[in-house]
Amino acid sequence: MKQYSNAYIIGFAAGVCLICSIVVATSAVVLKERQDLNKVLDRQKKVLIVADLLEDGHAITADEAQQLFDDNIRIRAIDIESGDFDDTVDTLTYDQRKATKDPALSRVAPANRAGITRLPLKALVYERVAGDEIELLILPIEGKGLWSTLYGFLALAPDTTTIEGLTFYEHGETPGLGGEIDNPRWKALWKGRSAYDAEGKPAITVIKGAAGPAEDDPYRVDGLSGSTLTGRGVSNLVQFWLSDDGFAPFLEKFRAERSAG
Amino acid sequence: MRLLRTFLDKQAPLFEEGGKLEKLFPLWEATDTLLYSPCSVNTGTIHVRDGLDLKRMMGVVVFGLLPIVFMSMLNVGRQAHLAIAAGATPLENWQTGLFQALGFDFTNALWPNFVHGAIYFLPIFITCFAAGGAIEVLFSVVRKHEINEGFFVTGFLLPLTLPPTIPLWQVALGTIFGVFIGKEIFGGTGMNILNPALVSRAFLFFAYPAQISGDAPWIAANFVGVDGFSGATWLSQAASGGMDAINNLGADAWRQAFIGFIPGSMGETSTLLCIVGALVIVAAQIGSWRTIVGLTLGTFAMSFLLNQVGSDTNAMFALPFHWHIVLGGWAFGTVFMATDPVSSSFTDKGKWIYGFMTGVLVVLVRVVNPAYPEGMMLAILFMNMFAPLIDHFVVQANIKRRAARHEAVQ
Amino acid sequence: MKAAHKKALFDPLVNDNPIASQVLGICSALAVTTKLETSVVMSLAVIAVMALSNLSISVIRNFIPPSIRIIVQLTIIASLVIVTDQVLQAFVFDISKQLSVFVGLIITNCIVMGRAEAFAMQNPPVDSFLDGIGNGLGYSLILLVVGFFRELLGAGKLFGYSVMPLVTEGGWYQPNGLMVLAPGAFFLIGIFIWLLRNFKPELRES
Repeated sequence: MKQYSNAYIIGFAAGVCLICSIVVATSAVVLKERQDLNKVLDRQKKVLIVADLLEDGHAITADEAQQLFDDNIRIRAIDIESGDFDDTVDTLTYDQRKATKDPALSRVAPANRAGITRLPLKALVYERVAGDEIELLILPIEGKGLWSTLYGFLALAPDTTTIEGLTFYEHGETPGLGGEIDNPRWKALWKGRSAYDAEGKPAITVIKGAAGPAEDDPYRVDGLSGSTLTGRGVSNLVQFWLSDDGFAPFLEKFRAERSAG
Repeated sequence: MRLLRTFLDKQAPLFEEGGKLEKLFPLWEATDTLLYSPCSVNTGTIHVRDGLDLKRMMGVVVFGLLPIVFMSMLNVGRQAHLAIAAGATPLENWQTGLFQALGFDFTNALWPNFVHGAIYFLPIFITCFAAGGAIEVLFSVVRKHEINEGFFVTGFLLPLTLPPTIPLWQVALGTIFGVFIGKEIFGGTGMNILNPALVSRAFLFFAYPAQISGDAPWIAANFVGVDGFSGATWLSQAASGGMDAINNLGADAWRQAFIGFIPGSMGETSTLLCIVGALVIVAAQIGSWRTIVGLTLGTFAMSFLLNQVGSDTNAMFALPFHWHIVLGGWAFGTVFMATDPVSSSFTDKGKWIYGFMTGVLVVLVRVVNPAYPEGMMLAILFMNMFAPLIDHFVVQANIKRRAARHEAVQ
Repeated sequence: MKAAHKKALFDPLVNDNPIASQVLGICSALAVTTKLETSVVMSLAVIAVMALSNLSISVIRNFIPPSIRIIVQLTIIASLVIVTDQVLQAFVFDISKQLSVFVGLIITNCIVMGRAEAFAMQNPPVDSFLDGIGNGLGYSLILLVVGFFRELLGAGKLFGYSVMPLVTEGGWYQPNGLMVLAPGAFFLIGIFIWLLRNFKPELRES
């Protein structure tokens, strides 16, 4: 076998590393713009779906999504604790899920039943607008189901009580049981029900078994058969985000502002 | 009788080598040996200590199972009628139609209960045998084996582990999967690592969970919206409500659960009849008492330990031993599934270990796992996989011990 | 096409299939096959990485000092995997998100390094390139078969289009939940291996 000098080996290794790093760096730099665009598009799509502007699974180009988003959706950053708008946050680049993990941008969550350990200081809320009129408030929610953390959006009417929709875009629940939270039929059951009761307490609950139609039974949603625990998780997390630890301060200010203006 | 014999003999050449239907020899052979003793006799020296063959073995197990079969029919009808009395409506299916056509009412009495239950149990039972038999025949023909009684016990066990309302196509699919994956691809009867009936059940459990878990499938009546009525098995009530839920069931609840008039899979509810079955198969030396006792000890140890540890968030920790053994499939699994001589450990010491570990696991799965209140199926399947390993170590230890003794003597 | 080339390209499909006869690369085969779409993208990614890593290692095979050959192979494969991941993120973002870590984990796929060490180190670039594609295809074959059945039986769909309408959506098909779970892939791969070895007895171990 051919003998190699140490200098050759080190030189060879350095050469390989150099070439590989150039290749990797080039690809990362060249593709960065596209990837960032994709991330924004991805987020926009999710919001468009929950805002009822886009059908799930429907293909859409980046430009169309951007157009639809710009025309109909307004992103606002809020301070969760005070409920005030915070316009210092760059809504285009702010990543709420990343911020939740960053000690500088989050805090330890108060005790809760939704399995949430940390809360971001700022949250992004989305408003679906037609002209200057706000039609829909879209709030990001998350919390523990049975096996996994559920990530989704809750859409409220401008009265901040009537639920317009609920959707989870990421979860790892059992297919066929808890995974049925993706079922459009079940999601449709939420529409028209009330998030808060007459005293302004979070009231909406997933029960075991079937609930009545929205007008007679406004605070209860049908359970998913065979997945009591996922249902309980959904109740807990929705109630958490509707509570004073979640978006209640913001929603209160939002209502006050609307009745004043 | 002679007529039948001559008839069979006349057909024989058709199926024997070179005959027209040579491929179907296993079918002919099965019919023949079912009706008559085979004419082939042993030519060499034989070493039979006891005439225990597969047929007798299977026969004894089925004999032990018969009381449970009747109980299951009785209880399925009883639970349905109790639910209907509480305000539920009968299911809209052909079973209900047939029951009414036979002129029965939905009253909680012996015969209506029994007939109503049988209308649910028998179709499942027949489907199971038809599907399992078909796949056995198929494999025997392809492999040119004789058809054996291997499916017989599986065919009895599987329906008893299913809820009454399970769709029949699922029963067929589950049986085929269990026999195929659980047994045939390992080489057929006696070669399987896992209990085929439990493989079937596990398949159905994970493939179609809505029809075999949760609150709905255990009672053959539609009780959605009936206030104050829960169709959940008592085990899952305990899983969600802990000892409070159990205490709410009434003072007589334990006795009721022991006798078996509670909702659940069709054959699993009666601990009492499982004990009777245990006596039968232990007396006939088919099921091992070591496995059964080991399993009971394991359950006791683990449940006692968890009772002591306690938990503020998980109410199941407080469930005591005497409730563990009357709820869910514990008794049925212990007596008829864990003792399966093929898939359990083979050595005596191995059976103790295998049983004990299964008992520990049952309690662990029931208590600690948030989603599957019933741990029996998973625990037995899991330990089935370890049974050969346990045997290996027992045998190795024995060899080592004897080698050491041999050296000490020299 | 030369016989050797043909062999390099087609042998790994059935006769010497990396998953079915060598039982390599099972981990990702379980993880990414719940849908046909992700299976296809993953397949393409693996084929690309294998072909390019075999090619580049074969080109420099005579210059690699034996003492550091493994780490050199690793560096090259790792770089290719990162580039592939970047490309997927840029062009098929949705799918890349579903594949999550499993694109990155191509590097731990034994098939890639196995072929680099066993084949590309001894053979000229064209052969190695074809061998890479062939083994990638063999891996893909299983991925696609498993993905096909898992999506069809588990969700009643193929490539996201409804083939058998589900009961929950008003159709007749009751989806099989086991297929969506990882053990479903185990069963399918197991059955596939069993069938393959039944029809090609020479693949059986003694």
